[in-house]
Amino acid sequence: MDNILTIENVSKSYTGHVALDDVSLAVPRGSIYGLLGPNGAGKTTLIRVINRITIPDCGRVLLDGKPIAVEDIYRIGYMPEERGLYKKMRVGDQAIFFARIKGMSKADAAKRLHAWFERLGIDEWWSRKVEDLSKGMAQKVQFISTVVHEPKLLIFDEPFSGFDPINANLLKEEILGLRDRGATVIFSTHNMASVEEICDHITLIDKSHNILSGSVDEIRRAAGGNTFTVTFSGDEELLRRQLDGRVTMLGESCGLIGGYTQIKIHIPSDDEIRGVISTLNDSCRLRSFQEVMPSMNDIFIRAVENRL
Amino acid sequence: MNKTMLIVMREFSERVRKKSFIVTTILMPLMMIGLMVAPSLIMLYGKGSTKRVVVVDSSSLIADRLVSGEELVFETLDRTDVAGACAEYGSESDVFAILAIDDDVMTNPRAVRLITNTSSSMTVEANIASQIEKIIEREKLKSYDIEDLDRIMAEVATSIELQTYENNGTGDVDTMESTSSNVSYILGLVLGMLLYMIIIIYGQMVMTSVIEEKNSRVIDVMVSSCSPFQIMMGKISGIALVAVTQIAIWAVLIIGASKFVLPALFPAEVIQTGGMMMSVIGTFSDAGYIAMLFVYALLFILGGFLFYASMFAASGSSVDSVQDAQQFNTIIMLPIILAIIVMMSVFNDPNSDMVFWFSMIPFTSPVVMMARIPFNIPVWEIATSLAVLYGSFVAMVWIAAKIYRVGIFMHGKKPSFKELWQWIRTK
Repeated sequence: MDNILTIENVSKSYTGHVALDDVSLAVPRGSIYGLLGPNGAGKTTLIRVINRITIPDCGRVLLDGKPIAVEDIYRIGYMPEERGLYKKMRVGDQAIFFARIKGMSKADAAKRLHAWFERLGIDEWWSRKVEDLSKGMAQKVQFISTVVHEPKLLIFDEPFSGFDPINANLLKEEILGLRDRGATVIFSTHNMASVEEICDHITLIDKSHNILSGSVDEIRRAAGGNTFTVTFSGDEELLRRQLDGRVTMLGESCGLIGGYTQIKIHIPSDDEIRGVISTLNDSCRLRSFQEVMPSMNDIFIRAVENRL
Repeated sequence: MNKTMLIVMREFSERVRKKSFIVTTILMPLMMIGLMVAPSLIMLYGKGSTKRVVVVDSSSLIADRLVSGEELVFETLDRTDVAGACAEYGSESDVFAILAIDDDVMTNPRAVRLITNTSSSMTVEANIASQIEKIIEREKLKSYDIEDLDRIMAEVATSIELQTYENNGTGDVDTMESTSSNVSYILGLVLGMLLYMIIIIYGQMVMTSVIEEKNSRVIDVMVSSCSPFQIMMGKISGIALVAVTQIAIWAVLIIGASKFVLPALFPAEVIQTGGMMMSVIGTFSDAGYIAMLFVYALLFILGGFLFYASMFAASGSSVDSVQDAQQFNTIIMLPIILAIIVMMSVFNDPNSDMVFWFSMIPFTSPVVMMARIPFNIPVWEIATSLAVLYGSFVAMVWIAAKIYRVGIFMHGKKPSFKELWQWIRTK
């Protein structure tokens, strides 16, 4: 497969702790690639390694098959998790400054920026100061600054955090649009719903390791078997104790109308399904037992808990 | 345009457009001129209202010979009881004071008392004391029976205006440069303080700006486009450019003011008899000398600023808030404060060994050397000092960049000196 970015055996440790331990992954060209993992797993460090902000202790990063070099910076757009804009600067001046830092000419930058500003409905804020903007608008400015030089590779660190649903949707559409126009997008998140909606590929990082990598469809299919929803009435605590060690609980239980409770479980092997059902039958009033496709959220939890 | 230049231009244009920059740029020279001119103006126009002094003279030697002036008007009373005079001319009357002279005034230096109804002032006391001293001296001289005493006294009255020149070895005094340590003193003081202020104010500006960039995470976006070294140097150079602009505007304003505003403020005879301040102002209109001082000042300000600003940048990068930076700042500022103390001894002897060495060490050289330059020191000393300063600046930037590179991504605990040392040694 044609990979725009390849990471080979990258390790990075800071004094006292290991941030990345022998992480390898490959990002296919034209994909939307999700970098998942709990807080502190090493996602941001990995992004910084890709951006050449942090130099890894060992391993290498290849862009288009060649070790990433200084000039490649122009081909990457990066939006950090904590938005960074100069508060006292005017919005337009600032966007132009960032575009020029990325190698665009002043006139070209102004033209394209105005087009983007109009598209996201913030053009009238062009000559206001950043400190006058609402958080959502500042994030739009940041987003535009990231993509305006039309880089081949875009990296967003937690792009949806802080956006309201309407703007998050707008952002999602824009990200898909960028992909359709040929860009490759990497973003880190713990918002699993967004992963299902827009990611083609994912890598799951936990405790500095790459514990799961691949296309979303394949991962869901592979992990697909043996996930069930159980609806019952009775003592949930007792049930959990009985099943402890035999199944993985996926998420919290939810209460249904009529006093029923629903839980989602994963059973490791086919052979145990019958046993689990009879345990369920013995310890509660079972109403339904149904196989479901696991959501990315379920896979995430299973992967982090059991090292899938 | 290259990236460092872009950063320089951003720093520059954002700062010079600020209201605070415009206000300080205009107000500073006004304040400086005010400070220089105020004493002369006060002397000139600040005379108090006329004060009546009634004199009770038991010796009958003094009272008639006291000369009333614009400030003090003396009235002799025909009585000798001080207590009675005090009662009559108390605070309800418009009399300022009662001057009581005892009859042993010729032999007793404490025989003169000034009893004031309101608070006295130094000029009043000095006026009265000097008049009485002269009268008594004259009276004592009289006892030697010298003929024509008044004429002799008038003839011997002398005042010296010392002309100072720098020996250039030709033996021809006309070709020698006229110097005055008074003028050098004022210029040295002003230049030394200017250097000190610029380094502190603009150095701290670098630091707060680095902290702000780090806290707002702008640095993350920046670092994905430029190297930390470019960012640091762009910031320091941009702020240096702001400082240079400000000094250039000041230079123009000050020279303009001393050429056009000061002559209007001071009548011609004041300029001639105005003493030290006026010599300084006179020097300011010597264009060649000013240009030379200005060039040296720029070189030392730039070198000193760059040297200290890189330390301030390193300090800012390693902390999360201005409060946390205080500890590092204290250490950075110690040598500058030491330089100010050493600068004071420049005025006693601008060529002493101690002063010489402090004007070579880069930590103190900008301030100390700047204070020495008006005293016509050898050019090789200035050149050596500049070379050492710029060499140390390169070394300091190299160290600062190492700290900066690591520091900007470190959030949370303030690093210890041991950790800073580790950062410097990290590849």
